[in-house]
Amino acid sequence: MPGRRRVAVAAVASVAVLAASTVVGVDAAQAAAGSRAKNVIYLLGDGMGRSHVTAARERYYGAAGELAMEKLPVVGQVRTYAVQKNSGQPGDPDFAPNYVTDSASAATAWSSGVKTYNAALGVDAKGAVVPTVMELAHDAGYRTGNVSTAEITDATPAGQMSHVLARGCQGPTYSAASCQDTDITGDALPTSDIRVTPVADQIARNGTADVILGGGLSRFDAADERALLRQGYDVLGSPADQQVATRADLRGARGRKVFGLFNKGNLTIEKFKRENSTAPEAAEPSLAEMTRKAITLLDRPARRKTGFYLQVEGALIDKRSHANDAAQTLEETKAFDDAVAAARDFAQRDGNTLVIVTADHECAGFNIIEKGTFTNAEAATPPANADSGNPANSSTPARGATSKDPARSTGPVNGSGSGDARNFAPATFRTVDDPASVTDGTPEASLWLTYLSGNHTGADVPVFAYGPGSTRVGAEIENTDLFDVVTRALRLDR
Amino acid sequence: MTRVRLVVLVAVVVVLLATGAWWWSGGGRSGADPQSAARTALPDLTPASGPPTLESLETVAPAPGQVVQAAGPFDDRFRLSGLRFDGRTLTGTATVTSDVSEILELEAVAGFYDRDGRLLGTARDVYHLDESAGGHAEHEGTPDERHPIRITVPAPLRGQAVAAAVGIPVLVNE
Repeated sequence: MPGRRRVAVAAVASVAVLAASTVVGVDAAQAAAGSRAKNVIYLLGDGMGRSHVTAARERYYGAAGELAMEKLPVVGQVRTYAVQKNSGQPGDPDFAPNYVTDSASAATAWSSGVKTYNAALGVDAKGAVVPTVMELAHDAGYRTGNVSTAEITDATPAGQMSHVLARGCQGPTYSAASCQDTDITGDALPTSDIRVTPVADQIARNGTADVILGGGLSRFDAADERALLRQGYDVLGSPADQQVATRADLRGARGRKVFGLFNKGNLTIEKFKRENSTAPEAAEPSLAEMTRKAITLLDRPARRKTGFYLQVEGALIDKRSHANDAAQTLEETKAFDDAVAAARDFAQRDGNTLVIVTADHECAGFNIIEKGTFTNAEAATPPANADSGNPANSSTPARGATSKDPARSTGPVNGSGSGDARNFAPATFRTVDDPASVTDGTPEASLWLTYLSGNHTGADVPVFAYGPGSTRVGAEIENTDLFDVVTRALRLDR
Repeated sequence: MTRVRLVVLVAVVVVLLATGAWWWSGGGRSGADPQSAARTALPDLTPASGPPTLESLETVAPAPGQVVQAAGPFDDRFRLSGLRFDGRTLTGTATVTSDVSEILELEAVAGFYDRDGRLLGTARDVYHLDESAGGHAEHEGTPDERHPIRITVPAPLRGQAVAAAVGIPVLVNE
């Protein structure tokens, strides 16, 4: 074989080997591509249990309608339990569960993949700092965003951007009572330790999120504003002057890094803004507006790769559920769902975005009861065990026939019973299925809603998803599994 | 272009594609330590050196027998009522008016003043809810929005303090 031909054959053989190995590699990548996404949008309805979703659907779209989140193709449910202080993780000999979580331990579960104690953020149950998805994504070159209708130092957004022993350590100033936890650390930590550094100080200086939109301006001060400006943030409004940002400020934002807080505390409920269109609070953007803007700001080339990770929280569902305020709970659930629609619309256009919609926990035992019935709280006695004489159904106690207690049930709490502070009756709402003559707060309204308590419950919560990797949540999963789902989708898990 | 050059060119292109695919799949970062991603140092932050206070305590000058409110960062979130000072103890009630799920932290700081309105010293009332200790159980149901304030004049200032001011530098509700 002439020398030139031998070289050519050798080159072709080399190319064939290389090409073959490359094809194998690409095939493997293609196989994995079904679970890998360019972007992840993680939306969280704080306190939003399954009944919150169902009630909002029936209220705004009728029994046969669907919320935007319910249109997502993958559905599962999430276990939410937390653990006690100094507990091990599930499976460890010192594992000690706490069946009802708060927003902090729940946020740490999906942000950092560990179960921790109520109040802990970005630390495990023994106080060790654990990295968050947002930190990992930012380090890997993704652009990052954090949006909430709560103070941005509140548990859910803070769970991605800070590490503290106690979520009450929000700022603007340190206090030992709110920041230290000697049950975890033994002795008090020096104030230079990140775990006792107020969340606001951390957010203003660690650059974890490129886009930060929400409430809580009172937590930040002039030093925080200087720190943000040094890092290149466009600061909407002014922490130094305690001047809140507005919807107009948000619309004009163009920077790669944007910090905008639209209220000194939590953002204002939608109902108030709708009914008071000239009030200063009406200049606050909705959650859907913030979500769309955050996507626009984040969806641009990053340092090393194109892609972003965005967390969006509808916080006021929980806060109004604590107050057993069904009208505002429903409206805030709808506002959250509008943000879900904005995320889904982007994901459908983009074609390579994973959207996850879930909750941290259920709040207040929200329930839908049959029209015309009443709850135990309204009854003179709990339901009778009418079959107690039957050996097959002879569990005790046996009670007499139940009846409604007129002193505890004085009409719909959003209607004729609204002036009675001791009234346990349901709130009633018309839906699109009702005749036009039916109004809220009447016995004729078809949606009857009740609360069990003013606190969180231990119920599992729903999860809905769309896009690459979404099938992983279509099961009964732990809240810590959501960390794995997102880190795998963004290839942060190596 | 000769066949050899063509083959070499194809080989280069294939190598570049393979390298790109490897990089895209994250091969360049496989040794990164995830723990290092956690932000645990803030070099431009001066750590706190004491308990929280209010600058406004330095600027108010209450008249003898008077109790006034000292401005703080959360004044739009609560209302003070029933403020009284008998020379030994300041009492009153803070009613949180913002959206309350649960009061987690509330710290009230009182300044005590002499007859000339000079600040003599401070004392505080500290409330902290330990969620993990089951603090909720004391008041199941909708949380209470009121917090009683009771702050006693420090012993060295007794007999000198004739007026007081009070404000809230720490307030957190879920």
